[in-house]
Amino acid sequence: MPTEDLATRLRAAAPETTATVEPLPGTDGRLRFPPDQALAVFRACQGVLGYRHLSMVGGIDWVDHREVFYLVWSDETRRYLMLSSDLPLPAPHIESATAVWPSANYHERETWEMVGIGFDHHPDLRHLLMPDGYQFNPLLRSFKLHEPEELEVKVRHV
Amino acid sequence: MSEMWINMGPQHPMTHGLWNLRVKIDGEMILDVDPELGYLHRGIEKISEDRHYNEIITLMDRCCYVAGIAWEHLYILAAEEALHIEPPERARFIRVLCEEMQRIASHIMWYAAFVQDVGLMTPFLYGMRDRDLVLDLFQSFTGGRLTYEYMRVGGVRNDLPSAFPAQCRKVLDWLMEKFREYDQLCLGSAIFHKRCDNLGVLKAGDCVDLGVTGPMLRSAGVRRDLRKDRPYAVYDQLEFDVAHAETSDVTGRYLVRMEELRQSVRIVRQVLDWLDRNPGPVLAANLPRWMGAPYAPVGREGYLLKRKYAKGVGLSAIEEPHGEAAAYVVNEGGEHPYRVKFRSPVLINISAAKNYLVGYRVADIPPIMGSVDICVGECDR
Repeated sequence: MPTEDLATRLRAAAPETTATVEPLPGTDGRLRFPPDQALAVFRACQGVLGYRHLSMVGGIDWVDHREVFYLVWSDETRRYLMLSSDLPLPAPHIESATAVWPSANYHERETWEMVGIGFDHHPDLRHLLMPDGYQFNPLLRSFKLHEPEELEVKVRHV
Repeated sequence: MSEMWINMGPQHPMTHGLWNLRVKIDGEMILDVDPELGYLHRGIEKISEDRHYNEIITLMDRCCYVAGIAWEHLYILAAEEALHIEPPERARFIRVLCEEMQRIASHIMWYAAFVQDVGLMTPFLYGMRDRDLVLDLFQSFTGGRLTYEYMRVGGVRNDLPSAFPAQCRKVLDWLMEKFREYDQLCLGSAIFHKRCDNLGVLKAGDCVDLGVTGPMLRSAGVRRDLRKDRPYAVYDQLEFDVAHAETSDVTGRYLVRMEELRQSVRIVRQVLDWLDRNPGPVLAANLPRWMGAPYAPVGREGYLLKRKYAKGVGLSAIEEPHGEAAAYVVNEGGEHPYRVKFRSPVLINISAAKNYLVGYRVADIPPIMGSVDICVGECDR
């Protein structure tokens, strides 16, 4: 589906959205939308546009904001579409997609614990891969891995 | 009888890996389930942000320990798109050869483990015997049997040895003969049917809503296979059929995987024929064969990390033996990727466990979870 066509169809399905479509190789494009229009965009994509399968959800920690992206797939056109939204700091959050794509459940739990993005109205937002009560978000840039020289553990013999 | 929660795992014959299935039971009936994951989480996405593009290949092998080279393929496709590198045609074919051979090894491994869950011991030994033949083939050109580190950004590390095509064809002929025996052992067994028919049913609509992919989805009658629907590498030049079944149950998943084995053999044969006719380079010019140390040796101009690449993003999706795997690589122009994100099909197939376990009995859990084909390595990453 050409990107202009996709933008037109999205606007027809959800007139209140101000989403824009930019090209992304190998897909129908990347659809950028403001976080407060999330649910309308999800419903339009899953319903009229026919992207029934949610493939993945992930987050990126940029310098001044965080980005959440959704990869969705249409069995009719056999193409992917990427949805992405920029979330402002300090408390990035967006509406959960679980009401539209039930498969978003685990994806959002993982994104929440790894990248620290809150998902409003998620039915079961708790740790998935990390232990309960884990305090950090490992995929943030501020979470540093050891530098090579620090890996040298100094063993103290008692 | 009173209801209670029991733990199946993290060490349990059912789990095939390190994870825990919490089950709420009333007597023998399953009322609720809650998968508990993360025991094998190694932070591969995080470590990738600190590695050069070729070094991440090492991590990919550890990502899935039964289909390592398929994950290498997934990552390489995304990385090359992000770095704007084109591999030679011969390398693309060799990669498809690897992926299909890996599918054969992975499905045979699944078969061996699954039939043991059902209670048949002989097929387990048969399966392990035949998987070794495929691993021997891998060893002949990668040097590894489980972790291969064979693919490189821009191609593959080395060409196939001259004796490989003949050896490979011999193994394929052997396997095709053995697949018939597999079916006789299972489909001809009354025990197998009693334990698998109409079990763990997940209909097509639920599969799509819950994001379930791979043989589980195709056993429900949905013919989604990324090799056909979104042909990557050279799959558009190869002939094969998409295996599918209509029963949505454990037997259906068995039938789909058995048919996929045969289709993979068909693909490997075509690729071998192509490789015989088309010699050529297997690595794009000026790209390194070696994996690389953290710091580049002085004077090695061809070293990948010494170059500056234009910014870009790479998105790839492959039909991995377990289902749809996807990778998203963000290249911000540095030596390391800014962000790498993987989609694990197993994680999402497990996430739907409540929908195909509730209502069955405790004794049904091993065959049902066995039919999901769980690899915790890629699930937890």
